[in-house]
Amino acid sequence: MTRVLVADDSETILLLLRTRLEMAGYEVETAADGQEVVDALHAKTPEQTPDVLLLDAMMPRKSGIDALRELRAEGVDTPALIVSAHQGESDANAPTDLEIGGYLTKPIDFDLLLGSIAELTAS
Amino acid sequence: MNPSLANRLTIGFAIAFAVLTGLAVIGVGRFLQQRQDFENATARSYQLEIAARGRLANGDHPAAARATIVGQHERRQSLSDDISGETRDTALLVGAGLIAGLTGAALLFSGLIASMRRPLEELVDASGRLAGGDLAARVKVGGLSETAVLGSAFNEMADELQRRAGERDQLDRMKDEFVLTASHELRSPLTSVQGFAELLMIEREQLSPKQADTVEIILDNTRHLVRLLNDLLDLARSDAGRLAIKPALTEVGALIGDAVKTMRGQTESSRQTLSESIETGLPAVDVDPDRIRQVLVNLLTNAHEYCPERASIEVTAVLDGTEVEIAVTDDGPGMPADQLEHIFDRFTRGDAGLTQRVGGTGLGLAISKSLVELHGGTIAADSRPGEGSTFSIRLPVVAAEPEKAAAP
Repeated sequence: MTRVLVADDSETILLLLRTRLEMAGYEVETAADGQEVVDALHAKTPEQTPDVLLLDAMMPRKSGIDALRELRAEGVDTPALIVSAHQGESDANAPTDLEIGGYLTKPIDFDLLLGSIAELTAS
Repeated sequence: MNPSLANRLTIGFAIAFAVLTGLAVIGVGRFLQQRQDFENATARSYQLEIAARGRLANGDHPAAARATIVGQHERRQSLSDDISGETRDTALLVGAGLIAGLTGAALLFSGLIASMRRPLEELVDASGRLAGGDLAARVKVGGLSETAVLGSAFNEMADELQRRAGERDQLDRMKDEFVLTASHELRSPLTSVQGFAELLMIEREQLSPKQADTVEIILDNTRHLVRLLNDLLDLARSDAGRLAIKPALTEVGALIGDAVKTMRGQTESSRQTLSESIETGLPAVDVDPDRIRQVLVNLLTNAHEYCPERASIEVTAVLDGTEVEIAVTDDGPGMPADQLEHIFDRFTRGDAGLTQRVGGTGLGLAISKSLVELHGGTIAADSRPGEGSTFSIRLPVVAAEPEKAAAP
């Protein structure tokens, strides 16, 4: 089963994402900030590594972008989607060196989200 | 304290006046003195000659008397020569003094003018730059006290302008920051509301019809809030000059096609006719396709929402001179002139009866205007009650790269 690691600082949004992704048949793991994402990936064996990361761009302690930067520096190449609260701002601030699979804005368009995850895990 | 222009002028005038007066007095005095001496000497000479002539008539030493007469005659001749020479010298002296005095005065004044000219030119230059928006424009303060005072007054004014501009920029940034933060903070709860309402709609069959309608209302209003947030964000960015566009050569037909495709579902559900008529061979325009599509969708959404069922909406595109004009025309209710006048203002919407039904934010046209103007284009509206409305945007066509003439 395809594993998705979801990070957002809002428990409600984590619950929403978990519910929708599980309905779509994904195995979901959650994290409350970027540091938890990094820690979770450090604690895993290669087989346990999630297939997709879904990271909120702005989180306390460590943002999704910073977490991804750290992971990429360690050689983690798991595909990642960034959820940004600022519509239209994602492209302007996009770090070009992090191999980001796509940007989503809040409120999340779930058709777009599920389509992007399917696309990233297809290969 | 810098020397003042007034002081220098006064001193200059006083010196020039004293020098010229002195010269005149000396010249006239000398002339009179010389004249007096000449007359005295001449009179004396005549007296001596008359005395000699008396002696000659009396036969008293006639040879000596004759010699005296000739001698005195020559003496007067020489005196006369001398006086004309001395008068000339005096005239020359006075003339030379006059020329020297005038030259000195001219040098003094041209010096004063030169010392004013540089600071004045600098002031003119700095004022121009300040007026042109360069708030860092300042002048060097120095020279005559008048220009120094003017210069430091200018610098103080520029400092004040710069300080106020800085404060205003800071306020703008704070406002912008506030809108961005508010928008961010509102988006998370909105995501939850919309997401969970959508979740309920996925299991719609398990809801009662009344519950399903309720959820539908929640979703409608959530979408409205999201639109409002997006529009407010666009406006805040536009105000802050941060509404960025990424222009690329874009096919007008494709742009309109995209916008029409986006709207097709909505117009069909209202049984409205949506057609497009695009002039063949339109040149490409250099625009941000996403932003111009946003404008077109906005115009089409307005037409769709304000028109009744079965209305017809047409998008046309023609080349007019150096601009492409894209127009959205409907045969809907139209609007009176007083409404048309404020149609691009913020939070302005059509008449209240209609807008209750319509879900717009009242910001769409204001944003469209900003976006079109950001592209160097214009937007206009034309409407009459009962005769429909036309909203048109004009976008400049990119001038074809001129063929470079072969360099000789």
